[in-house]
Amino acid sequence: MSAAAAAADTYSPAAEAGSKRRERREELRRHLAEDADWPRADGRSLHDCRPAFMQTGPTTAASGSAYAEFGKTKVIVSVFGPRESKKAMLYSDTGRLNCSVSYTTFATGIRGQGLENKEYSGMLHKALEGAVMLHTFPKTTVDVFALVLESGGSDLPIIISCASLALADAGIMMYDLVTSVSVSCLGKNVIIDPTSDEEAWQDGGLMVSYMPARKEITQLTLTGEWTDGKITNAVELCMDACSKLCEILRERLKDPASLASE
Amino acid sequence: LISGDLNLDSTLPSKLPPPPVFRSSAAPPPQGSPASRRARDDTMVGLSEGEKHFIRGGIAQDLRADGRRRLQFRALTVETGIIPQANGSARVRMGATEVIASVKAELGKPTILHPDKGKVSIYVDCSPTAAPMFEGRGSEELSAELSVGLQRCLLGGKSGAGAAIDLSSLIVVEGKACWDLYIDGLVVSSDGNLLDALAAAIKVALSDTGIPKVNVSLNNETDGEPEVDISDEEFLQFDTSGVPVIITLTKVGKHYIVDATSEEESQMSSAVSVSVNSHGQICGLTKRGGAGLDPSVIFDMISVAKNVSQRFYTLLESAFAAAEAVADE
Repeated sequence: MSAAAAAADTYSPAAEAGSKRRERREELRRHLAEDADWPRADGRSLHDCRPAFMQTGPTTAASGSAYAEFGKTKVIVSVFGPRESKKAMLYSDTGRLNCSVSYTTFATGIRGQGLENKEYSGMLHKALEGAVMLHTFPKTTVDVFALVLESGGSDLPIIISCASLALADAGIMMYDLVTSVSVSCLGKNVIIDPTSDEEAWQDGGLMVSYMPARKEITQLTLTGEWTDGKITNAVELCMDACSKLCEILRERLKDPASLASE
Repeated sequence: LISGDLNLDSTLPSKLPPPPVFRSSAAPPPQGSPASRRARDDTMVGLSEGEKHFIRGGIAQDLRADGRRRLQFRALTVETGIIPQANGSARVRMGATEVIASVKAELGKPTILHPDKGKVSIYVDCSPTAAPMFEGRGSEELSAELSVGLQRCLLGGKSGAGAAIDLSSLIVVEGKACWDLYIDGLVVSSDGNLLDALAAAIKVALSDTGIPKVNVSLNNETDGEPEVDISDEEFLQFDTSGVPVIITLTKVGKHYIVDATSEEESQMSSAVSVSVNSHGQICGLTKRGGAGLDPSVIFDMISVAKNVSQRFYTLLESAFAAAEAVADE
């Protein structure tokens, strides 16, 4: 942003501004990768999550809905159903879970960039299906629609956590609430709940979806090169954060009127 | 071929009144959700209760339906250079699963954000010739899942660390010209373990790939735009030592198996695909199947996958050497 502001009074070609921005980013990246206690751009330490604000019932037409705001990332999830499956679907003696994730065109810095994340719908489905008691609503479908209003990093984990809150709000039977947290690996440091800038520089990433009460991992994805020890540490870090996030979800479900953020 | 005689149920006309109504009242699904999911997957493969029991029992006794042990692979055959128009290509057969991978290199322009890097795109297509359910949009979900799984394993982190393909090696002139690598996978015949087969095919296809040598001449007449002359005789071999293999461990009951057939996959509760490079480092992981897993089970699966991957490397290398020998003759 500051590079853009500097460019406002004196015109400089885009390429030059781009290289300046890159230099600045490189410097930040170096600090994150090498210094153990360097505060992150938003003042957090490496293992601090962003403050989580979650709320149930933003949309009235849905059976259940939830809104989540983690720093800049803002997500809204609506749950419809259980309702009759489409006629074209084959008979099924278990329920269906239909998940769809979409981005607003203005969610990302470059317009329409969020549309690239097509795999998110499938990944949301995989993270949730192990938790939902599908046999409690045979022949019917539960629709989970997620909309990312603003993308500020760690989008998918926040969508998953928000969707499980929305499912609970809709009264869909579940074995446990699913919460999800991701970490980014930068140099020798592992940082939790990365922002989109940090995600853009990451050497590797790991996302865990976890059912804290059942102590089961429903989804785990990993990119980049990792050693065994690092995986174990990162997964444990995520599971710990998931348990804490689950507490917040439970608070919200018990007392939706209180809107205090943590 | 083998699956033909097991697919009895699928030959039934689909308009018959659904029998599961009676089944569900006779045997209500037990507590766990895996059971209910299994019931849904069976509708695709069409196994009788006896067959399911046979497959699960065999896996528990370390003797699978086709006579393999739990951590044993099917026979692997490799062919290289099967697509003349591509820069590199390979066909990999694992039992009845057959996949083709092709690598095409085209000159392109690097993005403004990464002027010092080439681009790689990975896309998988499932042909309806492999299975009728891949027709139309039916394969979209599976194609996307496989493509994302491969991208996650091959492209490394956003900064390029841990990537199988070194993107900066694809640069021709910084900021002006680079190679765009298009890696396409095609599922010709599907009998389980598609991700592992595709990763193996891509690894072999990349070893087969020759990038044309280019001569760059910078002159001032064309506004600083480099003139690129592509040689059609000299090729540069691609360094594929860093390209990982993917090992998918499918969990059936309490045990995990490698190289599952589609019948075995229908009985799985969950599967973990781990990509391991030749140094034994993990460079990608995806969990499939919805059932939750205990963290300690996942860590155990990772270490098993690491051990198994070394055997798969030797298996793939000997198959590749055999293919090269055939090609040389």
